[in-house]
Amino acid sequence: MIKNTFLSVIIAGGLMSGMTACNPLNTDPVLDPNNPSVGSVTNNASRAQIQFLVTGLEARHRGYVFTATAGFGTFGRELWYLNASDPRWQTDWLGQNGRLPDASYFGFGASGGSVYAGAYQTIRQALVLRDAANNTNALSANEKKAVSGLAKTIAAYQFLLPAIWRFDSIRVDVEDPLKPGPYVPYQDALAYISNLLNDAMADLNAAGTGIFPLTLTAGWAGFNTIDGIKLVNRAIAARTFLYRGQWQDALTAANASFMNLTGNLGAGPTHVFGAPPDAFNPLFFVRDANVSTMIVVHPSVLRDTTPNDARVRAKFYRRISPVTVSSDAGSLSGQYQDNRWVANTSAVPWFKNEELILIKAEAHANLNQATDAVNAINIIRTAAGIGNYGGATTQAALINEILYQRRYSLWAEPWGHRWIDVRRYNRINEIDVSFDGGTRFLRFPKPQSDVNWDIYIGG
Amino acid sequence: MRKRLPNLVALFCALLWGFAAIAQTTVTGKVISPKGDPLSNVNVQLKGSNVGTTTVEDGSFSLNLPAGNNRTLIFTLVGYLSQTALVGAQTSDLSIELKEDISNLEQVVVTGLATKIKRGNLANAVTSINAKELTGTTQIQTADGALYGKISGANIRQNGGAPGGGLSIQLRGISTIQGSNANPLIIIDGVYANNDFQRTGRATLTQAGGANQDDGSNRLSDINPAEIENIEVLKGPSAAAIYGTRANNGVIIITTKKGVTGKTKISFNQDFGFGDPLRLLGTDDWTVEKINFFFPAARRQQEIDRLNAAKANGTITDFEKLFYDNKATLSNTRLSISGGNEKTKFFMNGTITNEDGIVRRTGFERYSVRANLDHRISKNLTIGINSNYLRTNTDRGFTGNQNNTGASIGYNTAYIPNYFNIKPDPATGRYPDVDYGGPRENPLAVTDKATNNSQVNRFIMAANLDWKILETQKSTLRAVLNGGVDYVQNTTLVHMPEDLQFQRGQANPGDVLHGKTEATNTNFQAALVFNTNVKDIELTTQAGLVRLDFENNSLFARGRGLAPGQTNIRQATVQSIEEQFFSKVSEAGVFVQQEANWQDKIIGTVGIRWDKSTNNGDYEKYYAFPKASLAVNLVKLGLFENSKVVTTLKPRIAYGEAAGPVLFGTTFTSLGSTNIGGLLGSGPSTFVGNTAIEPESANELEFGLDAGFFKNRLQIEATYYIKKTQNNLQSLVLSPASGFSNTTSNEAELENKGIELALSGVILQKKNLRWFSRLMWWKNDVITTYLGVPAYNTGAFGTALGTFAIRQGISPLTIVGTPATTTGINGFTVWGLNQPDFTTSWYNTLNLPGNFEFSFLMEYRKGGDNINLTSFLNDGGGTTNGWFNDDNKDGVPNGRQRPPAPYNNAARWVQDATFFKLREAGLYYNLPIDLTRKWFKGVVEKIRLGASGNNIFLVTDYEGYDPETSTFGATPLANNVDIAPYPTTRRIFFHLGIDF
Repeated sequence: MIKNTFLSVIIAGGLMSGMTACNPLNTDPVLDPNNPSVGSVTNNASRAQIQFLVTGLEARHRGYVFTATAGFGTFGRELWYLNASDPRWQTDWLGQNGRLPDASYFGFGASGGSVYAGAYQTIRQALVLRDAANNTNALSANEKKAVSGLAKTIAAYQFLLPAIWRFDSIRVDVEDPLKPGPYVPYQDALAYISNLLNDAMADLNAAGTGIFPLTLTAGWAGFNTIDGIKLVNRAIAARTFLYRGQWQDALTAANASFMNLTGNLGAGPTHVFGAPPDAFNPLFFVRDANVSTMIVVHPSVLRDTTPNDARVRAKFYRRISPVTVSSDAGSLSGQYQDNRWVANTSAVPWFKNEELILIKAEAHANLNQATDAVNAINIIRTAAGIGNYGGATTQAALINEILYQRRYSLWAEPWGHRWIDVRRYNRINEIDVSFDGGTRFLRFPKPQSDVNWDIYIGG
Repeated sequence: MRKRLPNLVALFCALLWGFAAIAQTTVTGKVISPKGDPLSNVNVQLKGSNVGTTTVEDGSFSLNLPAGNNRTLIFTLVGYLSQTALVGAQTSDLSIELKEDISNLEQVVVTGLATKIKRGNLANAVTSINAKELTGTTQIQTADGALYGKISGANIRQNGGAPGGGLSIQLRGISTIQGSNANPLIIIDGVYANNDFQRTGRATLTQAGGANQDDGSNRLSDINPAEIENIEVLKGPSAAAIYGTRANNGVIIITTKKGVTGKTKISFNQDFGFGDPLRLLGTDDWTVEKINFFFPAARRQQEIDRLNAAKANGTITDFEKLFYDNKATLSNTRLSISGGNEKTKFFMNGTITNEDGIVRRTGFERYSVRANLDHRISKNLTIGINSNYLRTNTDRGFTGNQNNTGASIGYNTAYIPNYFNIKPDPATGRYPDVDYGGPRENPLAVTDKATNNSQVNRFIMAANLDWKILETQKSTLRAVLNGGVDYVQNTTLVHMPEDLQFQRGQANPGDVLHGKTEATNTNFQAALVFNTNVKDIELTTQAGLVRLDFENNSLFARGRGLAPGQTNIRQATVQSIEEQFFSKVSEAGVFVQQEANWQDKIIGTVGIRWDKSTNNGDYEKYYAFPKASLAVNLVKLGLFENSKVVTTLKPRIAYGEAAGPVLFGTTFTSLGSTNIGGLLGSGPSTFVGNTAIEPESANELEFGLDAGFFKNRLQIEATYYIKKTQNNLQSLVLSPASGFSNTTSNEAELENKGIELALSGVILQKKNLRWFSRLMWWKNDVITTYLGVPAYNTGAFGTALGTFAIRQGISPLTIVGTPATTTGINGFTVWGLNQPDFTTSWYNTLNLPGNFEFSFLMEYRKGGDNINLTSFLNDGGGTTNGWFNDDNKDGVPNGRQRPPAPYNNAARWVQDATFFKLREAGLYYNLPIDLTRKWFKGVVEKIRLGASGNNIFLVTDYEGYDPETSTFGATPLANNVDIAPYPTTRRIFFHLGIDF
């Protein structure tokens, strides 16, 4: 027995030491098996990594398209987004029963959604790209400037989204994610954006010439050179100056952009979409689909059309039967759907020559250069097949005419042109809420998450 | 003394004793039950030594005893009270009668990782549920479904009544606000079992939302409840501390059946039954007046024409009856063979479950094959292997939430008036298109044509080794090794054929999502257990280590624009990868536990476990989880010594700490991928990893009193606990302007307090008549004691429909909603609380004259509010039963004017979920053994016949199919949201059992 016990102890000891040899307590750190880390591009990113960040910026850059079209379009009563499965798309977006935007409003949430949080995420992407490009030896000095110029141009465009959504102060200093700067007033924010665009121009001017050094998608066809990006930069600058009421600057910028008074009005950069792994065009709906989700043309847009307007024929499709949804605020019915998209892979233009000509017209009108304004208006009218402008040439009349033409030329562009136009001119009451009994939204409050952040930091 | 070791080991040491033969006498005898039946497998042991044996099939035993003065034998058998006998002059033909242990105080309970303890010595309120209680009354589809009403302190919810389970269990409130789920850890025969709600993709194709709205099953539903011998529930950290990380929601320890020495026993069981809906709500009829009220003017004539035509043709249809009121056939077939000899014991079982659902084309199949083997290699070494192969095949159909697609029966029919004919044209087979205010889809077409299937292949293997390294008269040293693997492969298919109405409206009609999820859990544990006696005190020391590894990977591929009738993704116009995801977690721990037992009078335990996890911010940091407990048996200490009334009085107190794991990936700040224009892009994810994140921790102080009266025929167990959690995972939402959305912090703390009472006893005990009854009552209150981030509302569907207010100082289960108010909480009005006032259950089992057994279980829950969005949908579509009535006679129908005034806020959907349910009842008849032996010439041993039911009836004012429903599955807070669920099934069974 003693011998047995002794043997047992030996074996037990052996087993225990065997266990320490392949120690079960040893664990290896687990690295993310699904993704690279953000840290992998901070220093000495490879050229391929920079390329992925550029493409990533393009992907983020299109994130706002649906909300800016359907949401801002609803607020400006360019359209209704009918969605039977959740009545809040109607009741809340239209402000029915007196609803008014709150800090976590439906469709935007506590973060502000794709036109606020999403826009800042695109800006973050631009900052990461800028820094990655600056901290690598894989790019030449010129190339670094080119990348930086593109990043800042896109960032500036994205800053406009929270600004026009809020129509109020926004944060512009977002370099340090954990110390975002204060809210600056709307006009100051627009001034910041103008400066950022100028900054971007300075970078692009130092970037040499020729094809942009990294691959851009087909959305930049015609603009994928250093000079092409400059033309887009100036277009965004023109829009920004317009919003600031700096008419001469707007004119100058428009002239330096891709504005072409005799060219294709639809020319301009686009957001490309496609089949997976790409994303489908979120604005595409099958014609006459018997579904309960649909963007339909707002009745006031249909009512106010000029006879034989080619834009109406091109953009609106009359359904065989209307789409009707009901909620506890009543029923809404739409007979016309958006006809602009051939397929769910169609690209969505985000800045068109047509807008630049209208910017030119508006700047001239405000500068009391009536003839120039009318000439620009007539380019638009001729293209639409409704003949030259024959109305009064007072500043007020011209501005009325320009804002009217903007309703049809820029209908349901992913920007909500109508909504920002009526607010720019203090004409919010021109929005026709009689068809839905809704409320006109002037501005949105700070998103709850941003309010909370200040509380968290302050507390 | 030996009784504190696991039975198996005790048995084998006893069997093999004999080499220390000094002056010996041989004692022989027989052990019988009160009825006079021989009892086999009774452990016979010489007190204070390792000398022992077990009785054989005819109840007899023979034992060589060393010479000595104090020769007391102890007889023990599970389910019976232990009995001592002094060996005097008579050494042969001893006759020992064991009395049934009605109090279960002798039952051993697993509490440590390598040791067990007698229930009578426990310092915690550990719930044990044996096979008889679990599945003895009726056949229940899943193991967790069989726990309803049987655990005090538990809150069990089901996603809906769809076949194949989908349940979540909360023990003693919640220990997390935002952890992955609030479910307990599941251990099956020592294996860390997978109980995930794996993604199926249903919510992707129906556009309901994230995977938490898939209405998938939890993987515990794979387990065959009929193979379970016993379930022990460690309800909180005070009992579960030694399990460390992952134990803060409690631990459910499942032990499967084992073979016993003796004649090979073959059992065949067949259950056959049917299911029908437990409750239907009815729908509202339509009149011209109602149509004129409800529809816009342009639409009215068309609707009136439809109504008139339907009346003329007799096609008015009760959709609830059409979809839900179908008799489901239920069948279970089980064959088990068990037995063994002194060296080897085995249990083998095969089960086929085939249960249809009450919705056509839904159902659940389970095939389970199990072999449990125990083998003694030598006198000091035993090994055991438990192996189980499972295959489940579940068709859950389409119910619950959806968006636009119409792929949910209840969501869709909420908007369709009962005069609209949804049935296919008999000539063309075409399903009419639906054109009402809800989804544009024919729900009958979805039910007839679409598929939502999950097939699981699963292996659970456990191995254990028990080696007695040293043994002396007073001490033993054992090494206990065990390990196991749980491998789950889940193949899912969700398919919407191209000819469905919604699909025809899409750019690429026909949508299919194929998923494969593979999960592998492995665990290994090694412990040394030293047992010794110092004077009158038995000391048990255990120390060991644990290693756990969890690996998951999933691949979901989708095809849109399908060739007619095809489901292969290669037959799709658009082929895409919807998800590919890998995760890997390794955890390791060390534990030490010391128990001291002074003659069953005072029992104390202290222990500590240290754990680390690769999910934590610091993967090398060990977190400590201490525990301590004390139980004092006052009667054994002399109090009430001669009392005829009080027979047990045991105050007890226990403290312990445990943790909830950090979610995989919490430490990563990733560069996500995105594709645009044929290029691959990458960008920072919106989540910022926190490399300092710590696991959630919980500590619990539990104290109580166990008392037994009248020879323990009546027992009371009363427990109070305070469970506090720290470092709760809490999303810290960053400024959206940062370009990031959030990171995970440890900025929340909770406190749960609760009471659990159980009163049980044998009310009647006569010849041929015995009535055992148990009444349980429990309640839990939880508050957020600390919130380091700004107060926020979360869960369900926002404030307009009722959501949860997270704020320091109030319950996280507080339901708030519109209208906004400055006097409410978090800016909104308080409308309810998702927490019952109390729950009570009553279990009875009666042995009646003439070999009948009758048992039943009922449960009553008072209070607790649901967010009933089924009502919201039905009211929107004008189909709620009684919608057009006008109770307050103000001209506005009820369906447009749900109280409270001003009739337009979230309170409409927050409804009291008080209910009473008769959960289980069963009546069984055992044919007299003499008769069966005679009839079948000894081939058949026993025949058992029975009838039973599950979910037999429900009484509630709640306006839903079942007050215990949760569209979001196992979420901690919003597990009370009701969105057009699959109605709960009432199940009625007939049983036949034959033992050979």
